[in-house]
Amino acid sequence: MTSIPEIRTERLILRAPRQSDFAGFSGFYSSDRSSFVGGPLTEEVAWRVLAAEIGHWTLRGYGRWAVEVAETGEFVGIIGLWNPWGWPEPEIGWDLMNGHEGKGYATEAARAAREYAYGTLGWTTAISLVNPKNTGSARVAERLGARPDGTSFTHERYGYHDIWRHPAPEEAA
Amino acid sequence: MTLSIPVIETERLILRGPEASDFEAYAAFMGSDRSHMTGGPMERATAWRAFACEIGHWVLHGFGMWTAVDRETGAIVGQAGFWEPEGWLERELGWRLYDGFEGRGLAMEAAFALRGHAYDTLGWGPLISVIAPGNARSIRLAERLGATLERDDWTTPSGKAALIYRHPGVSAMHEVSA
Repeated sequence: MTSIPEIRTERLILRAPRQSDFAGFSGFYSSDRSSFVGGPLTEEVAWRVLAAEIGHWTLRGYGRWAVEVAETGEFVGIIGLWNPWGWPEPEIGWDLMNGHEGKGYATEAARAAREYAYGTLGWTTAISLVNPKNTGSARVAERLGARPDGTSFTHERYGYHDIWRHPAPEEAA
Repeated sequence: MTLSIPVIETERLILRGPEASDFEAYAAFMGSDRSHMTGGPMERATAWRAFACEIGHWVLHGFGMWTAVDRETGAIVGQAGFWEPEGWLERELGWRLYDGFEGRGLAMEAAFALRGHAYDTLGWGPLISVIAPGNARSIRLAERLGATLERDDWTTPSGKAALIYRHPGVSAMHEVSA
């Protein structure tokens, strides 16, 4: 059924989400920091969102990983490839859990996810959806070499997003 | 990470783990009015996330909802299994028959087999079933399975009223069959 590969970067391990990630996950989703990604949510809804992150892998063959710090085992984010039904096109997305911002984890994990998308899955392009008010997320997109491509996506629950386009595989290598 | 879900066979059904290709049948049912007793109706984008959630439930808890397939025709007739998302009262035995597959005792067959699996293989205690108050078909099925109304004052985390039926435990079932 669901098979989720493990990826290691310099500081991080990208692996399947699991129940022990839920405390950190629901901590993020109960806080105002989640307002750019549909939150805040109740614990009950947040659990279903975490479960759906896993099911995404089965339905699409790819998805988002739970990211942990290799040295400490701390769960710091949900980052990877996101394309639920109704999405404009496959996206590279990053949500950093509370207290783990500002260390470059999102950039490091998203870069590994993009390499997986281009190298293993054969994607020829990738976008990231960024709420213009989410300056932290825009900075991550910039560091990854992505640029707003002039289009946008508005979701009834998640609101307005600029579409940032990542460098093509040959440029990103 | 790879999760393997046991395949359970009954006289007329194969119960197997959910697969991506099951989504169309799920979305068709959850988009119809008949689903209003079991979480629907919902639009396709919501159904996609709900089905993804059902799959992830297996990974987070190690149990979940099986897809029920007609052994003879290969048709997907519905779902049955164990359900306990965050905030649920306790682990429940649930079922859902898709349009056109009611009235043949298929939900009974699936639920009976899975209750046996829960008690005999997993070693679980007496299960509950969470049923919407107006769902006469599901109430009849729970009663045929020997479950009795335990409480009628619970509401689901999304605010829906629910009846809690308690299934007989292992020992009671053995007494019946003995």
